[in-house]
Amino acid sequence: MYVILIYDISMIELRQGAKVSRNVFKICKKYLTHIQKSVFEGELTPAKLQKLRNELAQYLREDLDSVVIFKSKQKKGLDKEFWAADESEKTSNFF
Amino acid sequence: MESYFLFSSGELRRKDNVVRMTALDGRFKVLKIEVMRDLYLFGKASMNTDCLNYLAQSKIPVHFFNHYGFYTGTFYPKEANVSGNLLIRQVEHYTDFEKRLNIAQEFIQGACYNILKNLKYYRQRGKELDKAINEIQALEKMISRTVTIEELMGIEGNIHRVYYGTWTTIINQEVDFEKRVKRPPDNVVNTLISFLNSLVYTTCLSEIYVSQLNPTISYLHSAGERRFSLSLDIAEIFKPLLTDRIIFSLLNRKVITEKDFSKDSNYFYLKDKGKRKVLEMYNSTLDETVRHKDLKRNVSYRKMMRLECYKLIKHLLGEREYQALRKWW
Repeated sequence: MYVILIYDISMIELRQGAKVSRNVFKICKKYLTHIQKSVFEGELTPAKLQKLRNELAQYLREDLDSVVIFKSKQKKGLDKEFWAADESEKTSNFF
Repeated sequence: MESYFLFSSGELRRKDNVVRMTALDGRFKVLKIEVMRDLYLFGKASMNTDCLNYLAQSKIPVHFFNHYGFYTGTFYPKEANVSGNLLIRQVEHYTDFEKRLNIAQEFIQGACYNILKNLKYYRQRGKELDKAINEIQALEKMISRTVTIEELMGIEGNIHRVYYGTWTTIINQEVDFEKRVKRPPDNVVNTLISFLNSLVYTTCLSEIYVSQLNPTISYLHSAGERRFSLSLDIAEIFKPLLTDRIIFSLLNRKVITEKDFSKDSNYFYLKDKGKRKVLEMYNSTLDETVRHKDLKRNVSYRKMMRLECYKLIKHLLGEREYQALRKWW
């Protein structure tokens, strides 16, 4: 399934927040493509998504942080447009 | 699962628990380790053991290609799915001549069927191919009557000779292609065949890696040393479906023209841009799906390679006789 993940990490407790933010970022990178500051996208199986969720759960603070997941059964049903710079290179597997 | 194709030159390193390729100009690409199936390196990349260890730990084979786009080898991580039982069966079927010939014949039968399917498709589109089809059909009948592997290989050679003879008819672009020449390929079509075939081999190898089969024991090709010949066997079935069809559409749609090649010291080889076009087409073809009758769901070409491995395993274990893939769509 096609997934878009966005997150907000609270920086109220600066020290703690920085630590969470750093780890969440590193974990998401393993599964999804980093496209904007706190936005990731990519194709995942339900099992991989669950694995990602478990990994993130170690760090996320229930009362402060939030992670939003948009799921689509297929990438086909999802139109993607670039309104300024075209950054389609980012999700390409060719480099 | 995804494959990565790296053309840029630079450095591969482990960073933040992902592998990162940094090009010489500082741009980088993060390779998502959790969803990466395999890695294809076409540029000049340097890496350290840290990175290789991490790739091995994540069970990701790395395929290397040289400057000319020829396959040079694979970094094959420690076998994760081993089965002593299956290995014994695999060897048993190799040493028992009768059993070996049976499997080898089935590979050729499948390949031949798929070749005919290609030809019939182009006949339907108004190409004059009746003579070649008849010839190949005659040869097809001889496959089951062969008694040695050499004889079988001979018939396979004849089928391919007739088949390649039709290519100038099938391809709309002006190409001088008469026969298959390897090491080094001497014209546009031969170069494309060499390049795409090596890709098919590597994809098969990646799929064999996931199955329990041992890639060094093969049936049609002699189980040589220092090479994974089982992937050559399985690739035989897929070459007409992938290599040949991709070449036809690349040339007929004029995606690739003579301009994408350079001729250096008698070599014909693909320029980077050409390689990339071929690879993009190859990668998207692998992900194309068709409805599978028995499984009752859509399977991609890549998945079909895996299924081919599973069918072979079933045959080796004596559960179900092996039937090579015959294009049913």
